[in-house]
Amino acid sequence: MDWNNPYIYALGKFVAINVTFIVVLMIVAYVVLAERRVLGFIQGRLGPNRVGYGGVLQPFADLLKFIFKEEITPDKSTRFVYFLAPIIAITAALMSMIVYPFGPDVALPFIGRVRLTIAQFDVALLYVLAITSVGVYGVALAGWSSNSKYALLGGLRAAAQLISYELSLGLGLVGVVLMSGSLDLYQIVEQQSGWGGMRWNIIYQPLGFVVYLISAIAETNRVPFDLPEAETELVAGFHTEYSALKFALFFMAEYVNMLTVSVLATTLFLGGWNGPGVAQFPLLGVAYFLAKVFFFLFLYIWIRGTLPRFRFDQLMNFGWKFLLPAAILNIVLTATVYYFWMGGAGSR
Amino acid sequence: MSAAMTLNPMLGLLAAAVGALVDYADEMLFGVLFLLAVGAAVSLVTQRNPLYCAISLVFVFLSLAGLYLLLAAPFIAAVQVIVYAGAIMVLVVFVIMLLNVEDEERRPLRLRYLIPTAITLAAVLFAEVAFILYFVHDAGPERANAAAPANTGLTANIGAGLFTTYLLPFEITSVLILMAIVGAITLARRASVLRPTDVVVPGAQVLPRHALAGAEQGDASAVITHTTAEAESALGLTNAPHRRERD
Repeated sequence: MDWNNPYIYALGKFVAINVTFIVVLMIVAYVVLAERRVLGFIQGRLGPNRVGYGGVLQPFADLLKFIFKEEITPDKSTRFVYFLAPIIAITAALMSMIVYPFGPDVALPFIGRVRLTIAQFDVALLYVLAITSVGVYGVALAGWSSNSKYALLGGLRAAAQLISYELSLGLGLVGVVLMSGSLDLYQIVEQQSGWGGMRWNIIYQPLGFVVYLISAIAETNRVPFDLPEAETELVAGFHTEYSALKFALFFMAEYVNMLTVSVLATTLFLGGWNGPGVAQFPLLGVAYFLAKVFFFLFLYIWIRGTLPRFRFDQLMNFGWKFLLPAAILNIVLTATVYYFWMGGAGSR
Repeated sequence: MSAAMTLNPMLGLLAAAVGALVDYADEMLFGVLFLLAVGAAVSLVTQRNPLYCAISLVFVFLSLAGLYLLLAAPFIAAVQVIVYAGAIMVLVVFVIMLLNVEDEERRPLRLRYLIPTAITLAAVLFAEVAFILYFVHDAGPERANAAAPANTGLTANIGAGLFTTYLLPFEITSVLILMAIVGAITLARRASVLRPTDVVVPGAQVLPRHALAGAEQGDASAVITHTTAEAESALGLTNAPHRRERD
């Protein structure tokens, strides 16, 4: 196919974006199911297993239920912002999906040779950070517009937590950027293809990886950092007053964010699609990529099943007094080592 | 496309619309972003609810970031969103939420004298824009484009520029920001001359004089202290250990 024709190009990108969104939402639906089953396994119970074989149709049953539930808008809520908040949350979550390299260049039947990245550009990593930083508004505005003290407290907590951990998250990634000399995710993945596809950044950046992983859990409001929706003290936090599809949007946004940080961790630290044998069979790269992403998603569920929740002052102390200095230390170490012993930044 | 036109006029119309969308993508995006920026800016100055003002400002920043992208400056666009929309405005929204400003009744417009000043400043701004447009137009498209080669906006070039040609302004800016931080901390510290363990009582604590000095039995004239620390020292309890609210 002639990809230089602007109409075919635009149509191809349009189709690719929609396919990606559908696949992402399907993965999200089944991650929710997997979470409930794995948590059931960890806690010695069954989990949902009645709808379909082993519960495979449970996500669709849940979706139908969300659609038919009553939409409640609280009296005295700020109506426009109340509707805007879940839309911001899900849009910000989904928009970052278009820049990830999902696999190497593959030859597909009827279409020809394609690169499995929808948008490849110079500042892809900054784009991801920018989009996810806008997602804070969804949570904060939801808490404010509900006109409920639990929602407001949850929204305030969420905003404070997201601002605090965004810093360590971004600084944890700077080490990788220094090594690679690029913000282009495709190039960063390609640079990790050495040693038969096993020369991953995590070998060079263990501290950066740990800092990133911990702040990523905090950024997605997951256990043990799920203070914004601590049900023992705040009912459900910022989405206390939301029901039906608007609640479903927040729910989906949370899981899409989980997927986003898992994909970013895979891309930047675990070599993306790289692995043994990818050079011969490019489609194997997609499988490696998905396997690594699912490993991170499983790690999330595992952590949720085993760890208790932080206290809020502990959370803030940990973020500012431990995680942030560790991230800065990592930057200084990486810069020093690469400048003096490895021949300058971007010499990976 | 012509085959589709004969088969189904609706489909042909759709194809033509998509074609126009692709052909004039730049112009259309510019129009949308321009309208969004101006509309949000107008909303920013006309809204009375501070949170709506903040949201409008976020939309201004986002559409400006889009305009930067159209100008082939992706780094500036990303930084615009990260710094302004993602950090500064989040803090502003946070503070507005924390103060929980209610929707009050419309107050009369104070600072009425600022309106002519604003109109004058806007006129000056428009004059500047017209001046620049006139001269860029005068210089011809070749010179206007020659100043900005296609790769100026790339991250590596901006980084190289910041740390070589523009190092001094860059460092001065960072010192300026450091001064702002130090100033903020100083102001926050100076407000509290009390020790952290002091409890400030609104109004005062009133003690009868005989409670302070045992010799003056029956003297109930008031002695006013303003903090618990003062009251304690007056009562001779300064050594009473305070429970520290800390882990």
